[in-house]
Formats: sequence, structure tokens, C-alpha cells
Amino acid sequence: MTFDRDARAALNDPQLRGALRQATTLFGERRRAAIASVADWEGARDRARAIKDETLLHLDRYLEQFTANADRTGARIHWARDAAEACEIIGRIAEERGARTIVKSKSMASEEIHLNAALARRGIEPIETDLGEYIIQLAGETPSHIVAPAIHKTRGQIAALFAEKLGIAPSDDAEALTAAARQALRRRFAEADLGISGVNFAVAETGTILILENEGNARLTTSLPRTHIALMGIEKVIPRFADLEVFLQLLPRSGTGQVLTAYQSLLTGVKRRPEDEGPEQLHIVLLDNGRSRMLAAPVTRQSLACIRCGACLNACPVYRQIGGHAYGSVYAGPIGAVLTPQLIGLERAAHLPYASSLCGACRDVCPVKIDIPALLLHLRAEVIERHAGKQRLLERLAFRSYAAVMARPRLYEWVMGIARLLRITPPLPAWTKWRDLRPLAPRSFRDEWRADAVDEKRSLYDVTHNR
Amino acid sequence: MTSPIIADPARDQILRSIRENLATSAPLDAMTHARRDHPPLVARAPSPEPRDPVQRFTTQLEAVGAQWTLVRGEAEAARALRRILADVGAKRVAGSDAPLVRRLLPESLTGLTRDELFTCDAGVTSAQWGIAETGTLVLESARERSRLASLVPPIHVALLSTRCICDSLGDALARVDPASHAITLITGPSRTSDIELTLVVGVHGPQTVHILLLEEE
Amino acid sequence: MGCVVEFDERQTCCGQPAFNTGYRPEARMLARRFIEIFESSGADAIVSPSGSCTAMVHHYEELFEDAAWRGRAWALAERTHELSAFLVNQLGVEDVGATFAGRLTWHDACHGLRDLGLKSEPRRLLRHVRGAELVELPNAESCCGFGGTFSVKHPEISVAMLDEKVEAIERAGVDAVVSGDASCLMQIGGRLSRRGSAVRVMHLADILAATA
Repeated sequence: MTFDRDARAALNDPQLRGALRQATTLFGERRRAAIASVADWEGARDRARAIKDETLLHLDRYLEQFTANADRTGARIHWARDAAEACEIIGRIAEERGARTIVKSKSMASEEIHLNAALARRGIEPIETDLGEYIIQLAGETPSHIVAPAIHKTRGQIAALFAEKLGIAPSDDAEALTAAARQALRRRFAEADLGISGVNFAVAETGTILILENEGNARLTTSLPRTHIALMGIEKVIPRFADLEVFLQLLPRSGTGQVLTAYQSLLTGVKRRPEDEGPEQLHIVLLDNGRSRMLAAPVTRQSLACIRCGACLNACPVYRQIGGHAYGSVYAGPIGAVLTPQLIGLERAAHLPYASSLCGACRDVCPVKIDIPALLLHLRAEVIERHAGKQRLLERLAFRSYAAVMARPRLYEWVMGIARLLRITPPLPAWTKWRDLRPLAPRSFRDEWRADAVDEKRSLYDVTHNR
Repeated sequence: MTSPIIADPARDQILRSIRENLATSAPLDAMTHARRDHPPLVARAPSPEPRDPVQRFTTQLEAVGAQWTLVRGEAEAARALRRILADVGAKRVAGSDAPLVRRLLPESLTGLTRDELFTCDAGVTSAQWGIAETGTLVLESARERSRLASLVPPIHVALLSTRCICDSLGDALARVDPASHAITLITGPSRTSDIELTLVVGVHGPQTVHILLLEEE
Repeated sequence: MGCVVEFDERQTCCGQPAFNTGYRPEARMLARRFIEIFESSGADAIVSPSGSCTAMVHHYEELFEDAAWRGRAWALAERTHELSAFLVNQLGVEDVGATFAGRLTWHDACHGLRDLGLKSEPRRLLRHVRGAELVELPNAESCCGFGGTFSVKHPEISVAMLDEKVEAIERAGVDAVVSGDASCLMQIGGRLSRRGSAVRVMHLADILAATA
């Protein structure tokens, strides 16, 4: 299974592990420092979650309101049931607008639908302009972290990449590398006739879309070309303009430990006068691709509250060890483990809900209080109920036996008694390859209890250690 | 401009899917908590901050890596603006269409093509609002054409009246007119940490942001 | 401390391994069994030396759709406490008269910490142990990597997580690491002994019962 293979590859890559350790530690520290400047952080989380719950419970109504207002202000609305439809819509717009140079700012939804590959099949190649995404596009790789997609690459690797692809002299200096990327991309911005972006929030009340960033490439992508296509999951909508405040309080702090990212663009329709600055056409593509199905139960509906901040990745002790690639999708870490199976089907991703020790660190840091462990447990139960298959035959038998023994205390004692007598430890090489396993104590707690050996004169410690 | 209402099977199917799945969920929702009215967010730094909004604003500007100069009256502002531009060696300066910018720097370039804009050394605009809590500038496209001059040149100088400094993000959102097709919030220079988490200032947006704060006389 | 302690020999397992792996019917059966047994005891409190088992009992309600069983599960959970929570929060006791000479450090087991909110309780108890010096790990709250079947389904990841914990323990120069969950102790102890470390693992109950 590729997860195990990719995880093992990650564990055997000391440079990647060092980078992950450093990144997750740093983001975690910055997050803690940043949330200290909010007087009522828990209240903010509750409020944001309440807004999301309210929205999701009436998602159809809010989407209709959003699209009506966006349409009223000049945006063109497109609905895409799945990835293929979204790619078709975007490809068609690009062709109709005669787009030759297409620039793209960061959009996880676009990676989810494999937009770049679909456009390439039509002979259209958008240029990634977010520095991290640009780096991995040049390298032909996939992102390993939601917020810092190229975190797995060293300075040296990036220098070599730029030397090869951009023809610059290799330099270890991050500033020089960034300047090289900036220069290369500026030329593209100057000629770009179509920009594709994501959307962080969509306001139903006004038809506004909000895009957050630090680099300025999203601003360039959405203001210079004459056509702008904004791709958004249907769960991005929030009811009121004023609701933006609480999400802007939570997202930057949770994701990167910033009070605010350098830029927020609030875009409502197209320019009112031709001489104004900005695109002639704004196309908003609403993507379902499995999201509406998640509304079917409260435990799964909360998946749609996610604001893509990445805090759960930074808190996850599993992600910290293996990085994003092993999750096999643009959505990695804890949220990836619950989103990907729901988007692509549990039968194709049945292993992902098990890629967790259920520690709950993710739930602690989620700005909208998604109970990811509860979701993981729900998905595990679904796997066993519907997608068990042959691989789990042995496991099913094991749990049936376990349940049968545990339902019969005398049988339980007998089995344990045998194990105790023969000093048997379960044959588990997956354990014993790395960890010792002590055999059971010669006398059980029950033996001692019955022998009435537990009294005030001998401490329990003495009893269990047979002193 | 509104598009004609035409049948859209994708739209219908998505909305239907949403409604059907919500209906499935309804009986399970019996246990969820009722919506509560939450009090308005109060975001405050725990340490004592100067109450004066201008001081709070400039403290935050420094924290986010923006520069600032406080001036009194337009004459002083004009001198300060020229000095700032001269200090950075800016020769070609793009200016927005704000009357203030035209008054203070009449020789700044307007009506530039995209290519011309990319050759400018600096862009001068005004800002409609400042946010003290975060050190943020708010630019509204309905009130000024400042979107590109504040973005493309590597240096951005923003003129802001101290009377337009509001307290919090929530305040600013309440004051802007969403009829603007583009409202831009700017907090410091552009930046990235995508290369080995090393902070680099100045990526695609300006590397330097300088706020010229005008106290009206 | 004046409590009358009973041990009902009919009890076996709370069902957590089944629940965590997705085997809900098996977990539900064991949950019903647990609820029936402990309801019949009439005890004021059910105390468990395991944060994860206690948390499981607190989650029993989710296993049932039937309102009557949900009510019974909830009522039982109200009376079920983890050991340190029982001592500190129910009995108001922090000094149990224990003695232990040595440097100790506490590992926050995940369910106890995040499901039950236990952070200060075990530390308060340990600070009153005469002769013991309590040292705080920089990553006390980090998962040890056990996670039930996770430890054998993804052993390499489990051990990678474990080694970060174990390395911190070794750097802390302690005689023993203490925790409230036997599964964590098995995981941490198993790796410490494999690495030839002299550091012991002890359950909170072991330390609190120690008199020498």
C-alpha cells in the first residue's frame, strides 16, 4: 500500500524529517504566541463554529444568496458537480477568452480536481505563482504541507532546481532565490491574460469573495489579467460580511502565527466602470465533488467547517514524522485523513482513517473545533461495516474472539491463566522488532484480590511486585 | 450586468443533493446545541497598550515591518513624500487618481499601461482607512484607483489621514462599502517563508511599505 | 482514606480496542455488559487506573441510538472517574502519604489529557510524594505513539513518535517515567528496555502506593 511505502520513505529521509520537525515546531510556537493576543480565543472558536454550523444547515439557501449577489455585481457563476466538470468549465472559459498566458495563485481545490493536468491535456499550462507552488511545479512534485507546500525541499535543492530551470547561478541565499523567482514570474504577470485563484471565504450577503495571502501573487493574479476565474468549494460560503472578522482573527493565527497575512483581497463582482482597475470578467466556479454528501450526518458535516489553516498538520505527531506525501492527496494530515476518504470514497482510502493514534492534538488546535478523532472513529466504523474485504478477515476473527472471551469472565481468566503459566507473549513481530514485551506477572490481580492479600498492612505496590 | 436565467442542471443537482443530504441528517441533529448569540469579539493584547489610536497603529506598523512618518498639513506632507522617494532613488513614480496624491505629487504618472507600470520604482496612493489593532491599510476601489500602484512597483507609499484610523478589523469591515469591486487590506510588505522557513521580505508585492500619516492642521 | 473498595469479578474489558478499530457491534455488546455490571454494584464511584478506559466509558452514550441505553450510559459515566481525578477532585486528597526517592517525570496520556482534561491532578499528587523530585518533560503532552492497533498497524511511525518521547526522557535524567495509562507504559517501557535504559516505567498507582 502506497501509504506505508511513502511513510517509510519519509521516515528514512533525515532531511525531510528535520524539515518537518522544524516547520511544525515553529508554526506551533508562533500559533501559541499569536493566540495570546486574542482576549477570548475559545469564544472566537465557538463563534466561528456556530457560524459554520448555521451556514451548513442551510447551505442551499446561502449558496443561492451568494450566487444571486455575485451575479448582480457582474460575476458569472458556474456550478460543477465534480472535478471533471470543473476542469471542463475552466478549460472552456480559458479557450473562449483566448488565454495564452495563465497565472495561478494558490488553490487547494484546483489541486483536488487535478486542474493543471486537465488543462495541459487541452494544451493550456497555467503558471503557479505562489513561491512554494512554483517550486514544486518546476520540480514536478506535489505539495507536502497545506501552508508551506515546498517545506520538504532544502535551500540547496531549490538552488539546483532554479539553476537548471531558470538558468541562474546556484545560490544558497533564500533572498537571492526568491528574487530569481520573482523576476521570472514578473514577466509572466506582465503578459498574463487569465488568472485562476482559489477562494478563502465567500460572503452570501454581498456576493464577495475573500482571498488571503502573504506574497502578493494572488493580488496580481486577480487584478492584472482581463479574466479572473475563482474556484471555490461550496462549503466556503459564510452568511454575512461582518462574519469575516472572526475568521480573519482565527485563520492567520492558527496557520502561520500571524495576526494577519500581508494581503486580503475582498472582491465583489467586476469593475463598475471600464476605466477602473481589474478584470473585465470574473467567473466563480462552485465545486461540489462530494461535499454535499458530507451533509448527511452531523459528525461528517463538520468536515465542511474546515478553513484550511493547516494548524492540525502542525499539531499532529504522525504528520510530524511522515509529512504530507504519504497521505496521497492534496489534503494531508488529520483533516486529510478524514476529507480524502469522503471525497474520493472510503473504498479507495480505507487506510487513511487508521493513520492516526487518536491523540486529539488536532482537535485542540482546530480554530473551528472540528472533532477529528470522532470523525476518524466514525470512518473506521464505516470501513468495518461496509468495506472490510479480505484483508481484514484475520482481524475480524481476532475481534470476534476477543469479544467472545471478554463476554465470559471465567473463559477470560482461563485464557489469561494459560498465558501466565506458559509465559506466553503474543507473537507480534510488528511490536517486538522495536520494543520489548514483558510476560504477564505470575499472579494476577484477581488472584491477589481473592487471596485477600490486599489489606492495609501490605501496599498494592508490594503485592503486585510480589515483595 | 446580470446573466439571463437559464436552466442549469449542475446547479439544480447540487442544490438538490444538498437538500436531500440535510434532510437525511435532520433526525440525527436532535442532539446538536442550539445557536447562541455570541457577544462581539474583543481582541486585545494582554499587555497595556497606549490607548491613542495613532500610537497603537504605528506600533503595529513597526511590528509588521512597515515604515511610517507623521506629518502635519499638506505642505509638510509634500516635502516628506519627496524626501522618502528621493531616499530610495525612485525616478519613475506611479500615482493613483486620489486628489491628495495629485496635489502632493503632480508629476506622478497616471494612466500607465501594464508594461509601463512594471517599470516604475514606486507607487503612491492614499488609503481610505487604517486599522490600529493590526497595522493595516484599507484601500477601496470605489473611492480611488489604487489597486495596481499599491501592488506592482517595489515600493508603496500610502497617505493616510490620522482621522481615518479605526480601532479594529470589525470596525473597518463595518465602514467599507462592499459596493467597491475590490477592497484591499495591506499589512506590511509582501513576504514568504516558503524556502526552508526563512523569512524573505518582498516577493511579488512591494518590498517596502511606507505610510505617510497626515495630521490635519 | 476511608473508602470501601470493591472489585466486581464479572468485569472484563470496557471494549475500547474494538471501538477504536471500528468494530462497533462488539464494542456495543461489551459496553452493555459493563453498564449492567456496574449499575448493579450500587457503588458511589467507579474508579479506573486508566484514562483511556475512563474516556471510553464517557463515550458509551455515542454507541447507542436507543434513548434508554443512552441515559444509562450517561448516568454511569457520571460516576466513573480516573484514579487521579478521583483522588484530587472527588476526595480532595493530594497527599496520600507516599514515599519514593528519585527523579520522576510524568507522561500525559492522550485520553486522560484531552478527553478528560487531566493535567494538574497527577502532578499535584506526585509533588506530595516524599523524596520524589518531579521533572517536567518538554514534550510531556506529545503522544507516545501507542494508539491501540496503530502501534502494530504502523509500527515504524509509532516508534518514530516513541523515540522523540524516549529521547526526551533519557535527556531528562530521571529514574522513572510515570503515567496513568498502562498502554503508554507498555509502549514507553518496551522501548526503554530495548534501548538498554535504566529508566523504569511506573503507573501512578505504583508510585502512590510506594512506602519506601
